[in-house]
Amino acid sequence: MRSRVFVAAIAAVALGVVAATASAGEQRAQANKLTVWLQIDAQSGWPDLVASVNQQFQKDHPGWTVDVQYQNWTDHLQKFDATLAGSNTPDVIEMGNTEMTKYMAAGAFQQLDKSTFDNSANWLKGLAASASFGGKTYGVPYYAGSRLATYRTDLFKKAGIKKLPTSLAELTADGQKLMKGAKKGFSPIYIAGEDWYVAMAFVYDYGGSIARTHAGKWIGNLDSAASIKGLTAFKNLFLTTSRASKTTDETHPNPYDVYAQGNAGVIIGPSWFTCCTGAKYKADTAQFVLPSHTKGQPLPGFLGGSDLAVPVTGNKLGADWIKDFTSTSSEKTLQAKGNIPNATNLLGTSINERAAARSWFVPTAKHWVDVENGNILRNMLSQILTGKLSVKQAAASASDNITSVLNGA
Amino acid sequence: MSQAEGTAVAAGAPGLRRRRFSRGRFLRGSVPYGLIVPVAAAIGAILGYPLYSLVRLSLQHYGLFELISHRGQWVGLDNFRSVLGDAVFWHTLLRTVVFTAVNVSATIVLGTLVALLLVRVSAWARLLLTGGLVLVWATPVVVAVQIWYWMTNFQNGVVNYVLTKLRVGDFFQHDWYATTFSQLGLVTTLVVWGALPFVAISVYASLAQVPRELVEAAEIDGARPWRVFLDVIFPILRPILLILTSLSIIWDFGVFTQPFLLIGQSHIHPGNYLMGVYLFEEGYVKTDFGRGAAISLLMLLMVSAMSVVYVRKMVRMGDVE
Repeated sequence: MRSRVFVAAIAAVALGVVAATASAGEQRAQANKLTVWLQIDAQSGWPDLVASVNQQFQKDHPGWTVDVQYQNWTDHLQKFDATLAGSNTPDVIEMGNTEMTKYMAAGAFQQLDKSTFDNSANWLKGLAASASFGGKTYGVPYYAGSRLATYRTDLFKKAGIKKLPTSLAELTADGQKLMKGAKKGFSPIYIAGEDWYVAMAFVYDYGGSIARTHAGKWIGNLDSAASIKGLTAFKNLFLTTSRASKTTDETHPNPYDVYAQGNAGVIIGPSWFTCCTGAKYKADTAQFVLPSHTKGQPLPGFLGGSDLAVPVTGNKLGADWIKDFTSTSSEKTLQAKGNIPNATNLLGTSINERAAARSWFVPTAKHWVDVENGNILRNMLSQILTGKLSVKQAAASASDNITSVLNGA
Repeated sequence: MSQAEGTAVAAGAPGLRRRRFSRGRFLRGSVPYGLIVPVAAAIGAILGYPLYSLVRLSLQHYGLFELISHRGQWVGLDNFRSVLGDAVFWHTLLRTVVFTAVNVSATIVLGTLVALLLVRVSAWARLLLTGGLVLVWATPVVVAVQIWYWMTNFQNGVVNYVLTKLRVGDFFQHDWYATTFSQLGLVTTLVVWGALPFVAISVYASLAQVPRELVEAAEIDGARPWRVFLDVIFPILRPILLILTSLSIIWDFGVFTQPFLLIGQSHIHPGNYLMGVYLFEEGYVKTDFGRGAAISLLMLLMVSAMSVVYVRKMVRMGDVE
């Protein structure tokens, strides 16, 4: 009996230890194989471009093959960290523009010669900033996307809305018109409660910001008067026009699913949202640029985007693959898919590109990604919307939090 | 660890015969030790080395920069000082202890009740129940999380629908993820649901050892069912219940998959951390592996301390037998 008890105890402790230690290390880097990590957006959006760039690369470098591995946004950094531990890193990696700084600061990427890439003199400011650190270039802008309103033209017509809103006040009024006689649970303007991309747009619209620098230190700025005005405007719009959960994010559920079920009049998100709004509403779907509180101005949108980088232990040829993938012709292909190309000289006049005229970006601080992953902004938004804390209280506590995280405390 | 096991085996070996220091006696005496060698070696390799690395890591500053250069900076006990000085650690610990207590007691009580039910019901009902339990046991955690998530969905969840139809109240668009309490409440239902089969089937197996005559005798003496359970059945179940409780404590204290996936990466924040999640967020998400290792070691110590209490109890009970 005794020994069995001990075995059980040991087995139990063993389980705990095994659970606590993570496994690292996957495939060994193979000679003459270039490993490329792209996000799934490329897999679903432009696989033909990836294939043709691979062909081009293999033609230029005989004997080489390209292995493209698609990654998810939620866990690709943890996977990348694991490869860094074992030095089996990919040779090219796609990074979100908000994720770059921390890795550049830690020396995770090879320095690149900016002049060898197409249109590098005209790279989009928001993306170029995210790809350089200490005056050196470590990444190449890949593409960007702005945020638009996707809406039901039939519902607007039915509600008697003749022209698209040109100010926040008009947008709110239109939302109220759409609400009249709508079924239970219908959101005239569907916004997920914790969609900080939308909420921060209001903060920047009123002249506020997430953080500012002072004497070489980052200081949270959400508690400034202008930021609080923006947060209050967001709260008011949400409470009047959205019946979304106050504690959910912008992917649970996906806004286009809510739209496809007929539960939303307007959804806010990337321009490609039109892909998935459902066959039923295809003919009645269009997009507009969200208006600012100042009449006639667009609401500053979050300039989301991706950069490509060569990890420090990756093969130098990775840079050549990036050259092909961000060439003028590749960028034109990306543009045709509804994205914003990486350089100003390529910009067209699509609605997506017009919305990018006024945009905002997260603080380019080494520890920004910790603010994002720590869900500080999301938590603040749910506190505000559920009424657990006042706008002022929630903003003050989030702001203090941001100050300490950005300064690496 | 292997030493402790060796002692146990030695103590369990027949000790009544008189000792004689003959060669054959010695050889025979060393057999148990010889048998334990492979196990000890395997445990040393599988557990010893990772444990050594973990201790090493916990004494270093090991962030992204160190990860890339493959060399940590020795900082002594700084990581432990920083963790123990962190208010979030203590809040998380308290929350986790309460969470564990609730989950373990619910699992054990419900599991025992299901086992008692299994004894009473007819053969076909028992078959049906056992089948259901096995299906629950066979459901992968990640799948179960997804099902829970769908059922409690804000807009289209079946739970809100049914509760509204049953006129329990207006649950239309009820937000099950609004407060930490209800988030962890959902996690509790998921954890208990998943652990129930193991407890129920183990207790059921051990109920089969309860002699029918003992129960009958007690009943003839006028004992009520509750008395019978307390004085006749429970003492026989005690060893298995102790094992199940200590295992459940270890599992529930370090639970990660259920809270992390059900609450969701985008809603995890210091206000709803459990220890497993805290470890992951501090170590992996913030890429501070040294600090993560320190938290992991502290958790290991706590779990070991908890199991020592039970192991000692078990050993004493073994002596009485």
